[in-house]
Amino acid sequence: MNPVSPFFKAKKWKPFAFQQEVWQAYRKGESGLIHAATGTGKTLAAWLGPVIEWMDGDGEANPPLRVLWITPLRALVADTEKSLQAPLTALDIPWTLSARTGDTKPSLRAKQNRRLPTALVTTPESLALFLANENASDRFKDLRMIVVDEWHELLGSKRGVMTELLLARLRRISPEVCTWGLSATLGNIDVAMETLLGSRKGKLVRGLVPKSVVIDSLIPPTMERFPWAGHLGVNMLPQVLDAIEEGRTTLVFTNTRSQTEIWYQAILDARPDWAGLVALHHGSLDRKTRDWVEDGLREGTLRCVVCTSSLDLGVDFTPVDRVIQIGSPKGIARLLQRAGRSGHRPGVPSRVTCAPTHAFELVEVAAARDAYYLGAIEGRDPIVCPLDLLSQHLVTIALSGGFVSDDLLAEVRSTYAYRSLTDQEWDWTLDFVSRGGEALRAYPEYSRVVFHEGMYRVMNKQIARRHILSIGTITGDSTIDVRYLTGGRLGSVEETFIARLRSGDRFVFAGKTLEFVRVRDMTAWVRRSRKTGGEIPRWDGSRMALSGELARAVRARLEAARTGIFLDAEMEAVRPVLETQAAISAIPALDEFLIERVKTGEGHHLFLYPFEGRLVHEGIAALVAYRMSRLRSITFSMAFNDYGFELLSAEPAPIEEALAAGLLSPTNLALDIPASLNAAEMARRQFREIARVAGLTFSGYPGQNKTVRQIQASSSLLFDVFMQYDRGNLLVDQAHREVLERQLEKSRMGRTLERLSSSIIKILDIQRPSPLAFPLLIDRTRTRVSSEKLADRVRRMTAGFDR
Amino acid sequence: MSTLPLNIAGERLLLYPERAVYWPARHTLVITDTHWGKASAMRAAAIPIPGGTTRESLDRLSQLIESTGSRRLVMLGDSIHARSGRSPQTLAEIAAWRSRHAALDLVLIRGNHDQSAGDPPPEIGIRCFDAPLVDAPFVYRHWPKGSEEGYTLSGHLHPAIRLRGRAAESAKLACFWFGPSVGVLPAFGGLTGTAIIHPNPGDRICAIAGDEIIPIRY
Repeated sequence: MNPVSPFFKAKKWKPFAFQQEVWQAYRKGESGLIHAATGTGKTLAAWLGPVIEWMDGDGEANPPLRVLWITPLRALVADTEKSLQAPLTALDIPWTLSARTGDTKPSLRAKQNRRLPTALVTTPESLALFLANENASDRFKDLRMIVVDEWHELLGSKRGVMTELLLARLRRISPEVCTWGLSATLGNIDVAMETLLGSRKGKLVRGLVPKSVVIDSLIPPTMERFPWAGHLGVNMLPQVLDAIEEGRTTLVFTNTRSQTEIWYQAILDARPDWAGLVALHHGSLDRKTRDWVEDGLREGTLRCVVCTSSLDLGVDFTPVDRVIQIGSPKGIARLLQRAGRSGHRPGVPSRVTCAPTHAFELVEVAAARDAYYLGAIEGRDPIVCPLDLLSQHLVTIALSGGFVSDDLLAEVRSTYAYRSLTDQEWDWTLDFVSRGGEALRAYPEYSRVVFHEGMYRVMNKQIARRHILSIGTITGDSTIDVRYLTGGRLGSVEETFIARLRSGDRFVFAGKTLEFVRVRDMTAWVRRSRKTGGEIPRWDGSRMALSGELARAVRARLEAARTGIFLDAEMEAVRPVLETQAAISAIPALDEFLIERVKTGEGHHLFLYPFEGRLVHEGIAALVAYRMSRLRSITFSMAFNDYGFELLSAEPAPIEEALAAGLLSPTNLALDIPASLNAAEMARRQFREIARVAGLTFSGYPGQNKTVRQIQASSSLLFDVFMQYDRGNLLVDQAHREVLERQLEKSRMGRTLERLSSSIIKILDIQRPSPLAFPLLIDRTRTRVSSEKLADRVRRMTAGFDR
Repeated sequence: MSTLPLNIAGERLLLYPERAVYWPARHTLVITDTHWGKASAMRAAAIPIPGGTTRESLDRLSQLIESTGSRRLVMLGDSIHARSGRSPQTLAEIAAWRSRHAALDLVLIRGNHDQSAGDPPPEIGIRCFDAPLVDAPFVYRHWPKGSEEGYTLSGHLHPAIRLRGRAAESAKLACFWFGPSVGVLPAFGGLTGTAIIHPNPGDRICAIAGDEIIPIRY
């Protein structure tokens, strides 16, 4: 008889076999990873192990910290606390349970600082702050279990690497501790477990077989008027409204925060009677607003919430019975995750309905369904050896009473991320955080971590304070608060957006039209505008790429369409557009590489279609532009999307000549790729994040004084300084490496080039832009590669500029 | 060096792509916003920036002084970046530079940074003024602000211009900005950023494109 049975009985549930498997494994001291779709009982599988242990065994009154529950998002904390508390209450277990995040009230913080609860729910950043404290080892010594929730969300990001380092630290403090991860199913689930457990062995437990998922589409009634290009098109609004009408509570997922604002406004404009029943939710909104929305979802008082990935994760919204995806699904795992938000109960089928924002997205939906049936779920590749994060970690540990080099090296190498860290990289990083590296040898004023009595420590309070503030700024660009002049915080937006506004400009944020007044104290002050409409902030980094799996499925669907096979409602609906494509240009066969050439008033356009997702296209575009620019003096401006890329130039591009000279050839790639990255300034852009994580730049904090502003410099300036005065800097190296490996998915780029170079190249001169070309043509977000003298470019730009 | 001659307030000025203005009639070189010692200040705050930026700016300045044969250097403010940037190296580099141009008359109009960082050390022989300083027909200031006593030459803004052209071309370039009564020079220092300006119709913009200066009329 299992001691937790009364809890299950009361709920009229029965423990699943996989839950019992985990409880037993935990009792044997094993670690592992549980993977299953959301809403299938993973939480209880992990949580009840130590609970049963306590009930069966010691029954210690008021036990010290035993379970640490790490969750990727603050937004999930309250909900997690609730679901962990339920069995404790039902079984009358006297454990204390509380959460610690940046939002925790000072009184609770103080209480926790005196004594931690039996179970603590926290985020990686807050955990890092705990571990930066001198008494960390004392506090965590009784730890028995660490649970990492939604591990798939952390994996593949620097926060994931940060978590790996923190886990290694905890395992050192408490060697017997078990680690369990909870994850959605991934294509590379074994790697996900290895990453979580580092050098330890573990058990992979598969949860319930995924619920069946229905993927369907809202089909536009007429295709002619359907926008080919509009990223933001709301033409499908009537159909979306009908779908919302059908459900009780609907989640409308979009791909960007801007789209969220646009759709929220459109829905309210069309149905003013829904005021108060429709809400929006995205990561930039104020915590209080988000809490209100989440509560409304749980209680079923909202009819519809327009949201971004901020509601992708864990939180249990049982009333949600309809999920709509606006725009491209981008990846299969992501679409399934979102589908899982509906029918959030074991055994209830999930359904996601896609509303395309341009015609080709219908192909993507059909392709996503194919890939789902084939079980082609994407993997997530963990990040390996980021030295920016290692230097951040070294300062964190130096703050916690210091470290001995060899000990910490062994600990760091026990993680998956740094298992192949070389001695040279370690020495460089250690030298970098202590003496600033080789280039700073001659500058005694520099010191961050000091070597003192055999230990590396931080002695300076200012440095400690700034470091603590910078932990947790791994993701995201520098943002500033948006507040009403009358008080009241609305959320935060990218500084770069606010910088473009002038006093009196209107913009839309948090579902409201606001008038910008001024920026002061890291805050954008606004007032409500009586007029409606205005610019919508564009948040950086929200452009996700089509996954490799989905891209492959799209190519297969296009090949079928080329041969006249239009299966499913989506393909039937997109047929006129594909036929227009075939009439103006062509639908490329699987073994063809389509290049379209067209001249407009803007200049000479080349459109190239590898169909591999925008990240890969960005890299290939840079390479192709770079190689052509070496044949003659020319400037390209480039745009990319998930299907292909455009190279635009004032003069015709030497494409035939370049192809004959091996434009797609794999020879010299080792030299040409880095050169093209520099030409397109991609490493410089990647350096922004690295500089922030390594503590070279920091966005400051409210009420900062002049001395803080005096030591700020843009990452782009710093990049130049390093390139000029410290060529051996490994962080600059890292910027190049990260662009290659992460941003460009190097191996995918290599495979794509192979595929393209063995394809039949089909160059078509077309009279007007094809349906495939149109979205690229109007994309204004561009990067450039040039082999012209800057002054010549400027002269061309200023010719006819006199006004 | 390719320079651009420009008539301002009836005087012939030469604009240098090294980010300086030379006034031949008075043998005067005018620069602004050198922000010497900025890297030092950042290092003192435990941000690991390699050295070389202050030295580069001083070397560039020496070349300008020598090639123009300047007898006077006017700095329009923000000479030293911060108090914490007054490291022994920075001050030694400035002193060494000064000794190369011992005869040069050195003038500083104090800017906002100078107020907190302090004047350069008196040993280098520099005359420091609070704005404005009249040198007819010009008025030297740090802040770009008009004056009844003449045409203002100023700094502070670190001006840059965003140019756009056909074929989705675009570039951001540091620039000189001459309005009807106020001119703003680009920041001289290497580790300084820029801010995009929005000129008024009729303003003269001279953009720095590598080693050339290209005039743009608004």
